[in-house]
Amino acid sequence: MKGFATLLWLEYRRSRVWAAALLGSLLFWFWGLNQVTVTDVGERAGIRVAIVGIAALLGVIVLCFMIGRIRGETRRGQYQILLLTPPSGYLHVLARFLFALGVAIVYYVIIGGLLWWVALQAGIHPDAGSVLQLLLAGPFYGIGAVLVPFLVWTLLLMVFSSAFRLSGPSWIPGIVMVAGTPFLFRWIGDGIISVSYSLPTWRMYAGLTALAERFSPEELEITVNGVPVAQEPLWIMLALSVVMLIIAGRIWQEVEG
Amino acid sequence: MLAQLREVTKRYVKTEGVRDLTLDIDEGQVMGVLGLNGSGKTTMLKLMAGLLFPTKGEITALGGPPRANRARLVYLGETDALYAWMSPHDGERFMGGLYKDFQPERYHELLDFLDVPRRKTKAMSRGERGRLRLAMALSRDVKLYLLDEPLAGIDLISRERTLKSLVREWRTGATIVLSTHEVAEAEGLFERVVLLKEGRVALDTKAEALREEGKSVVSTFREVLG
Repeated sequence: MKGFATLLWLEYRRSRVWAAALLGSLLFWFWGLNQVTVTDVGERAGIRVAIVGIAALLGVIVLCFMIGRIRGETRRGQYQILLLTPPSGYLHVLARFLFALGVAIVYYVIIGGLLWWVALQAGIHPDAGSVLQLLLAGPFYGIGAVLVPFLVWTLLLMVFSSAFRLSGPSWIPGIVMVAGTPFLFRWIGDGIISVSYSLPTWRMYAGLTALAERFSPEELEITVNGVPVAQEPLWIMLALSVVMLIIAGRIWQEVEG
Repeated sequence: MLAQLREVTKRYVKTEGVRDLTLDIDEGQVMGVLGLNGSGKTTMLKLMAGLLFPTKGEITALGGPPRANRARLVYLGETDALYAWMSPHDGERFMGGLYKDFQPERYHELLDFLDVPRRKTKAMSRGERGRLRLAMALSRDVKLYLLDEPLAGIDLISRERTLKSLVREWRTGATIVLSTHEVAEAEGLFERVVLLKEGRVALDTKAEALREEGKSVVSTFREVLG
């Protein structure tokens, strides 16, 4: 346990500048939201939601970069030191993942808070349930179904490329892995779509959407019962992420330094 | 027997790091692994540490595969591999958190003895970082130390102090396998000398036997590898 806590601390020391920059960028986004001065309330809310969407997307990219900085460690020899430490490869990989996940949770809960603020500014006052969904359920669903697989995939890719150095013949599996990523994601996406909505859906933002619909019934084509959210993408992506984490840990465990 | 290499070959993509290497390493021995650049010293130490796996042959260290016993040995690589943000204080946190055999008192003693400045490594010279790495490595209480070029890049006084630290470890019964190009300075420490040439053992002898023949390690090095 002490070893794992030390690995988390190490990850914090390695990545705290990235984490601080990412969380600090929220101030910039909040400033940006305040700069939207379009008079039409609906249009203003739309632009603000788009800005929050960009912040959410950039968060995924920054977090992937943060978790994937392993090649530099390999070049500088730090990876070799870590390979010889007592904790297993699984724990090394898990510590990196959990730190990034922790930063992501803070970031996306605040993003949820920004959306709440946008709603309030547009005159939409969601009920307590919708506020909780904006701050917790929505961000956690997005993190589980989208961010976690991206983070774990990046981790796996970088552990793989650091492990095999992608030199000589190792370039072949490396290129296959990188070039195959979009096809793999598309294949997984198609698979998920084909099975989605088999299980009961989760209704989210019911209070919020009802209010929004009252506010602008023509523009917002949403139901008063809330947005139907499929469970399947979340469970499938989480299961795939666990498998990829195990593979990354196994590679770490077996690799040469 | 603390470690054994049996007909070990390590093949890289185009070259061979070591070839058919067979060595038995006893407890409580200081063994100098010497050779020209590219002779296989680093490959041999990495194999013994479990960082590399042999293409052919078998290695045991501390009674089992080196990687499985990694927590019970020290490997100090030749690469300057400390994080830029790391200070001696962080080094203590890192080592103390990961290694059960870490001795904080010894670490502080070594920091003082090797005159390691208490600042982040990015503000240290190469030699100062080398001394910090050495203090971190020698502050663990293990039976097998694998040290690859621990004297490289550090000043004369620190080299002498490093050698004294190694002597102290050896007196506690530890085995030290030391690779260095500073042959003349380290030769007083060696009990056994292994000269590597193109990945093979060119000479494996006791230092005492060389002294009895009136030879130094340096002159033997020149004679065999020159």
